[in-house]
Amino acid sequence: MRHVFFTMGTAVSVELPGVDSAGRALERVEEIFAEADHRFSLYRADSELSRVASGSLALMASSPELRRSYAEALLWRNETGGAFTPHRPDGIIDLNGIVKAETIERAASVLDDAGFVDWSINAGGDILCRGSQSPGQPWTLGIADPADRLALLCSVTLVGDRRAIATSGSAERGDHIWRKGSLEPTEFVQATVVASSIVTADVLATAIVSGGGTSLDQFTARWSIDALTVDRAGNLRATPGFRSALATPRVSPLLA
Amino acid sequence: MRTRATLTGIFASVSVLVIGWQFGAAAISTATSASQGTSTTGASSGAAPAATPTAGASAGATTATTAAAGPKDGSYTGTSENTPFGNVQVKVVVAGGKITSVVALQLTDNGGRSVQISNYAAPILRSEVIKAQSAKVSNVSGATYTTDGYLSSAQSALDQAGF
Repeated sequence: MRHVFFTMGTAVSVELPGVDSAGRALERVEEIFAEADHRFSLYRADSELSRVASGSLALMASSPELRRSYAEALLWRNETGGAFTPHRPDGIIDLNGIVKAETIERAASVLDDAGFVDWSINAGGDILCRGSQSPGQPWTLGIADPADRLALLCSVTLVGDRRAIATSGSAERGDHIWRKGSLEPTEFVQATVVASSIVTADVLATAIVSGGGTSLDQFTARWSIDALTVDRAGNLRATPGFRSALATPRVSPLLA
Repeated sequence: MRTRATLTGIFASVSVLVIGWQFGAAAISTATSASQGTSTTGASSGAAPAATPTAGASAGATTATTAAAGPKDGSYTGTSENTPFGNVQVKVVVAGGKITSVVALQLTDNGGRSVQISNYAAPILRSEVIKAQSAKVSNVSGATYTTDGYLSSAQSALDQAGF
């Protein structure tokens, strides 16, 4: 079954292959996303993070959940040399770049605890999955073409502990991608990162768009990730692991 | 301590990549100008994407009769070069007379230790990734942040179809 709901200004699709009814688990998943949205959305004037931004709530007086996400975002800022940052150029703390992935992780725990062995969660294009798509078939995921949102650039299979894939880009709103004082357009219009953790994948995809080729080379050398980038001219770069993860048609054209 | 380790790691990575590009360039000229003997055709190299066997062969023949204008399509593995830093070896893929991919097979760091640049993101042709399109996908990863963006996305189409 597939369950779709709207939250955090985007859509979340939960796929449970071979399952007819998920009962309470999907309700809990929706609640988890709603809680995060109410706490962290800067589009809600009454969210906790909006109150921190407006000065009506001191950061020190904010909830442990908010401070934990902020601390995690600061850690990633340091680890990426500032290519990822929770600080908007106007000084506002914006945790949009990390909260969605953290919420996917919490929702995933609900599905695991409910005993589901095969599932995928896609929140606004960031996907975490477990098990298989159908018996004997690994999760096969498309990557959107930044030049045509209805077209796929390619598709990849996620196997082993590579369970997470995230794509960031400057093509759409791209509102959590800020660059350190630069007005130059980004080198990449889109970056996709495959990792074992959705937070790692999401943060590094954002940081690669922000930091360009230098960040791409640093991050692929440092973390166990695979990456695919699209530059302004439409040229692609991919890590060897990404190449080998490219899904192939089930029926070879040579045999058809 | 952690910061120091991080900085050292980043420095080492950058150094290796810079060295890689320098020696990579040298090895490319060696491979393409001299040693056809070390080349493999697109047909025999599973990783060589764009050079289909027949196209590569005919393009190569044409090139040969017109005064060797450019390198033949295929995958070229350079010899392992002994440098002051250690051994360096690269592989290049040529398609349509252009280098489409450079992969460092063997590099060294500043201390002369051997380093495998196994995770470097190299150029890849669209034709190489597009062949995968007919695989059945369950979800689409994309930079779709808005609800409006979602409604006109491939993911939305999959959701409506129940994938």
